[in-house]
Amino acid sequence: MSENIKVVENATCTFCGCVCDDMILTVDLDEKRITKSKNACILGKAWFAEHYIEEDAPAAMIDNKPVSIEEAVEEAARTLVNARFPITYGLSDTTCEAQRQAVAITDSIKGNIDTTTSVCHGPSGIALQGVGESTMTLGEVKNRADLVIYWGGNPAESHPRHFGRYAVTAKGMFTPRGKKDRHVVVVDVRRTPSAPAANQFIQVKPGKDFEVLWALRALVKNRAIDPDIEAITGVSLETLQELVDRMKNCRYGVLFFGMGLTMTRGRHFNSGALLALATDLNEYTHFVAKPVRGHGNVTGADNVMSWQTGYPFGVNFSRGFPRFNPGEFTTVDLLAKQDVDAALIIATDPASNFPQAAIDHLAKIPVICLDTKTSHTSQLAHVAFRTSTYGINTEGTVYRMDDVPITLRKAFDSPFPTDEEILTAVKKRVRELVLAKGRARGATGESKAAAPVQAI
Amino acid sequence: MAIFLKQIATPDVPMEADNITPARFAGQTPAGVEKLAVMHGSEPRRIGDFFSVSGQFDGTINVEGDHLGRVKLIGAGMSRGVIQVDGDVGEHLGAAMSGGEIRVNGNATDWVGPEMSGGRIEIHGNAGHMVGSAYRGAAMGMTGGEIIIHGNARNEAGNAMRNGVIAIGGNSGDFTGVNMLSGSIFVLGELGIRTGAGMKRGSIVSMKEATLLPTFSYSCTYRPGYMTLYLLHLSQIFAVAEEYLEGSYKRYCGDSVELNRGEVLLYAG
Repeated sequence: MSENIKVVENATCTFCGCVCDDMILTVDLDEKRITKSKNACILGKAWFAEHYIEEDAPAAMIDNKPVSIEEAVEEAARTLVNARFPITYGLSDTTCEAQRQAVAITDSIKGNIDTTTSVCHGPSGIALQGVGESTMTLGEVKNRADLVIYWGGNPAESHPRHFGRYAVTAKGMFTPRGKKDRHVVVVDVRRTPSAPAANQFIQVKPGKDFEVLWALRALVKNRAIDPDIEAITGVSLETLQELVDRMKNCRYGVLFFGMGLTMTRGRHFNSGALLALATDLNEYTHFVAKPVRGHGNVTGADNVMSWQTGYPFGVNFSRGFPRFNPGEFTTVDLLAKQDVDAALIIATDPASNFPQAAIDHLAKIPVICLDTKTSHTSQLAHVAFRTSTYGINTEGTVYRMDDVPITLRKAFDSPFPTDEEILTAVKKRVRELVLAKGRARGATGESKAAAPVQAI
Repeated sequence: MAIFLKQIATPDVPMEADNITPARFAGQTPAGVEKLAVMHGSEPRRIGDFFSVSGQFDGTINVEGDHLGRVKLIGAGMSRGVIQVDGDVGEHLGAAMSGGEIRVNGNATDWVGPEMSGGRIEIHGNAGHMVGSAYRGAAMGMTGGEIIIHGNARNEAGNAMRNGVIAIGGNSGDFTGVNMLSGSIFVLGELGIRTGAGMKRGSIVSMKEATLLPTFSYSCTYRPGYMTLYLLHLSQIFAVAEEYLEGSYKRYCGDSVELNRGEVLLYAG
């Protein structure tokens, strides 16, 4: 270890949606590595320890050949402007400042913008629009919640500090004894490592979450339900009734839910049922619901998209104004239907995790990729930029899963530009090209300027 | 004589053709129709770039092509006349239409007749998700009219429908009639799961057994008088077995988390 050591206090871990901002990082500036990350969970420790910079790697490539950043920006802008139905996708692992530039680019090129929300809590977004949301911050949960229910999620492994920092063992103003002042329930289809942390584990038959939530709603409203509920869902009527009594009689109840609800059969109706249950319970006590979000700034992506376009994900600008229609304007659907002719992929790797039909189409069209590392997507990209990592090499703003904005601190410098810098340069060039295209169209007449269509 | 649109070019990105409606074609010559705008992705184009136009408009539009799957919004907002489509058609067919008729000899995909208030849509093949439904964020789906699907429909048929009829000759997907406010849905085949979740009023009829939500309760088995009338009407459109006309139906009330004034009727023999 060199002697050129720096300690960064109150740094932020952007690995998961908890966005813990109490990290104490020890940085070896000669080695350009983080050697110690105090307060981080096992996932955060890995996030910091495994971060390294490949200084020899090119900052920009076209068709896998190194080029200057200026050339790559020019090619990226031309590709996007010449497309008829370009998509922008990703955005959950970058700063809000970069996300904002991505929305501006998509607006200029009349494209389609979508975030990784559409493949995780997108159904919750649809449900929020349909049902509404009783919401809170995690600080309120820490200080007030005396009944905490986790549904369809496994925070012990996916968000390890969620229990200790916010919701289970955390000690707050009205919960001075931590877990002793709370009743914690985990509902899932299998006994996960989160179950031992709870006072009560309720096992639901796979694919029956909606039926259980619907039965709970009926019981909250004192309506009769099918007495065979146990045969249908695996949960007895007594258990449900006891849970309902507990929910009605708590002071401050919280429902946290994960992708066990949003990505199983029923999707937005599962999330909607849970949100409606929280709403129903407000007849009796204070009850809130919140999705437990995955990526570090996926909540920021929803927020930036919402305040810039009015909708959280799956937004289309083809007609010059934003339109929202999940299923039509969401990325997997568009790629699988081969409706897209160019893609701007930011800080995500769809080529490694999308359905094969979507990946096959991605390989056929020009892709512009911004990523901190070599990825499957960057390898098939027409233009690939290597950017610096947010939260470690880049400052900016991210949103915690409860929609609280948090400012990032930089640990050390990266030789690579930030997502925001690249996207700002692309935006500037795109706007110039769009203006020039408009002038050309005005001079020659619309139809002549348009590219030929594919005759049958 | 009708006006004919024969597809001559394939859109390689989604095309929005909400100008293909009788009201826009009225008084137009074929050359005038060719000049009407469509959106090809973000690019403004003309109908003539993709279709050859012939005939004379008398209230009927014939659209023919093997690559209409990306052509969206045909008949959107139409209030009169007839559109006949030969081929598989794209999304939002007859969106928010208030009158007239659309016939499709082929399959349709998602959003057939969303938020329509009148008129008739008949699909001779299958339909996708969200037949006669509300768009996301809207409180009401179709408020009137008739949608006939000869084949199968997928999820959320009649989502938040407020009035009108949806008849499906084959099977329907999950959440048929979800959040339904009133109106009627007939499914001659099998229902998916979670039928009528959150329904306030309205009727959902199926000729097969179905698994219902725990918030639906059995009330009786009887012969609803109106069933024979409805089924006689439907038997002129597709085959309806004789026994369904005279059979008894098990009536389930729901959804008890809402008003509990909706009904699911399952053929009992």
